[in-house]
Amino acid sequence: MKARTTRALALLATGLVLAGCGRGTDGAAEKPKDVNTTAQATGKLNVWAMGTEGEALDAFAKKFESANPGIEITVTPIGWDVAHDKIISSVAGRSTPDISMIGSTWMGELAKSGAVDPTPGNLIDKAAFFPGAWSTVDVDGTAWGVPWYVETRVLYYRKDLAAKAGVKPPATWEESKTFVKGLKKAGAGQGMQINYTVGSWQELLPLVWQQGGSINGPDGGWTFDTPEMVKALERTKSYFDEGLSTSKVDPASFPASFFKGEVGAFHSGPWMIAGMEKDGGDGFAEKFDVAPYAKGPAGGTSFIGGSDLVVFKDSGARDAAWKFVKWLTEPETQAAWFDTVKALPSVQAAWQRPELTADPRVAVFGEQLKDAKTPPPVPTWEQVAKAIEQQIERVVRGKTTPAEAAKAIQSRAETVGTGL
Amino acid sequence: MTRLRTAIRYAALTAGLAIVAGPFLWTLLGSFKTDAEIRREPPTFLPLRWIADNYTSLLERMDVVTATFNSAVVAGVVVASNLLFCSLVAYALTKLDFGAGRLVFGLVLLQMMVPAIVLLIPQFVTVASLGLADTYAGIVLPGLVTPLGVFLMRQFMGEIPDEIVHAARVDGAGEFRIFFRVVLPLCKPVLATLGLITFMASWNNFIWPAVVAQHEDMYTLPVALANLSTRETAHYGVLLAGVIVVITPVLLLFVLLQRYFVQGVATAGLK
Repeated sequence: MKARTTRALALLATGLVLAGCGRGTDGAAEKPKDVNTTAQATGKLNVWAMGTEGEALDAFAKKFESANPGIEITVTPIGWDVAHDKIISSVAGRSTPDISMIGSTWMGELAKSGAVDPTPGNLIDKAAFFPGAWSTVDVDGTAWGVPWYVETRVLYYRKDLAAKAGVKPPATWEESKTFVKGLKKAGAGQGMQINYTVGSWQELLPLVWQQGGSINGPDGGWTFDTPEMVKALERTKSYFDEGLSTSKVDPASFPASFFKGEVGAFHSGPWMIAGMEKDGGDGFAEKFDVAPYAKGPAGGTSFIGGSDLVVFKDSGARDAAWKFVKWLTEPETQAAWFDTVKALPSVQAAWQRPELTADPRVAVFGEQLKDAKTPPPVPTWEQVAKAIEQQIERVVRGKTTPAEAAKAIQSRAETVGTGL
Repeated sequence: MTRLRTAIRYAALTAGLAIVAGPFLWTLLGSFKTDAEIRREPPTFLPLRWIADNYTSLLERMDVVTATFNSAVVAGVVVASNLLFCSLVAYALTKLDFGAGRLVFGLVLLQMMVPAIVLLIPQFVTVASLGLADTYAGIVLPGLVTPLGVFLMRQFMGEIPDEIVHAARVDGAGEFRIFFRVVLPLCKPVLATLGLITFMASWNNFIWPAVVAQHEDMYTLPVALANLSTRETAHYGVLLAGVIVVITPVLLLFVLLQRYFVQGVATAGLK
């Protein structure tokens, strides 16, 4: 409920900004300015970061300060619930911080607002990042920040139930069904937990991509009414129809239901490892494992999300700001960052470091990241995502057919447009 | 017969109390449980083992003292200014004869009908261009006079007989003197109500201070508390401990002002 309200507010806020208070909207054509790398940068930086990152970043900033005398950093932690509104308001009121962490799907509207600085090519090397991660900062051919950390979705399953049923993590879509049926037979009432409410698009889009489908055409327009989309919805629906998944259980009972073995498998991001080891009780760490997405006709593409860092144009210490951003994306910093907050590095080289190779389950995420996609970072994405979520829920509840739902998403998406 | 009636009444009141106080009690007890126990099914009522970890980790992760101080400053200023300015406006609307009274009251009512969230961005742009972003002044500015306060005070003052005011005028008292010496003392119950309502509104206010405060040292309690929940997981134990810290002052205030509060709401509702 809260998430929903927040999102509604966010849309409202965006609308207002774009309608009245926005600045130059021709941002995409801008050329990035170089950062002076020879001179020592100085200045005061205010950095906004959300959640765990906001709490942990201060200690990292101290390290950077001691290596770079003359730069003073204040980290301001902000709550996820308010982050989007706060950033958009600060853009409208021209009272932005120097650097902010942002959700990767917000990049489109920020780039469009004209308030963020294009990424200086002489300081940041695009090739160092996972291509999927880099595409979250690239709007119309210009980069507007850097991917800070990434997350991708993989299959989580109960090792004990799988062993009892004699099934192995699936490699293909066909095996996937057999696998889930096995888990159900082994005692998991819900073989697979599938999210069909807020955020459900993150589980649906991989199914489209795994068939080689795409949600936007080469001209950038939306393409939701496709056979791949219909098939993806049908596949989701079939789990519910066959009793392998249910919409009758309160979603809030998860992940407790996974601890109890009522749920046999689900798709989610890396944060669940630490969360479940902590909340699952003694010995639960041994009871679950992760595996890459089962491959569809065209592959096993997953969703890639995460957070980006942006530097605002109104920053009084632009060079210092970019240097701090650059430092945060050094492989050593990224590996240490993973060690502290368990956020996966967006920089490929960081994955060779011991902090990341220690846990084989983390390596599964590293493999999956090589094949992971993001929806296009356009200003209207949150609105389109809402339409997808609504239709998924209707399909799952049997209120509409997959074909009609695909049409409905397409027509809503066309009304909303891309905002570019 | 009357004894039976009394018994039924007490039973009903006890049930009501349990429904109202239950969640608070659960919050309080929950703040002493581990996260695993909070999530447990079937839930436990009393903690299996009392732990203070949630409070210590709250103190570690959040600057409770600064946030409480900020909340108190903001709430103090907002309450004081509402008590003064809302009653001044209400006095003008009810006891002074000027042409535009109805129009002014209409405008006040109109304001009550605009959802606050619609004003978020315009207000922030205004406050930021006044150079007040990230200041106490910026946080309190939009709440200094609330339409609800004006409405409440006007309803109550309308009940005070005009004759008293006329008599004071005949005796040669000026308007401010009448206001402070005659009318305001009669408004005590409604002032207590208004004070409590604005205190709670300010104390619980989240989105506005969250947008205006741009450094952690300007955060009020709800804003600081919101940082504790991350996008993926919520540590309920710490959150519950935080909730206890936030609601305790409000509860104390309510207990102290309860008599006036009940009276004020009853009378303000009469009209």
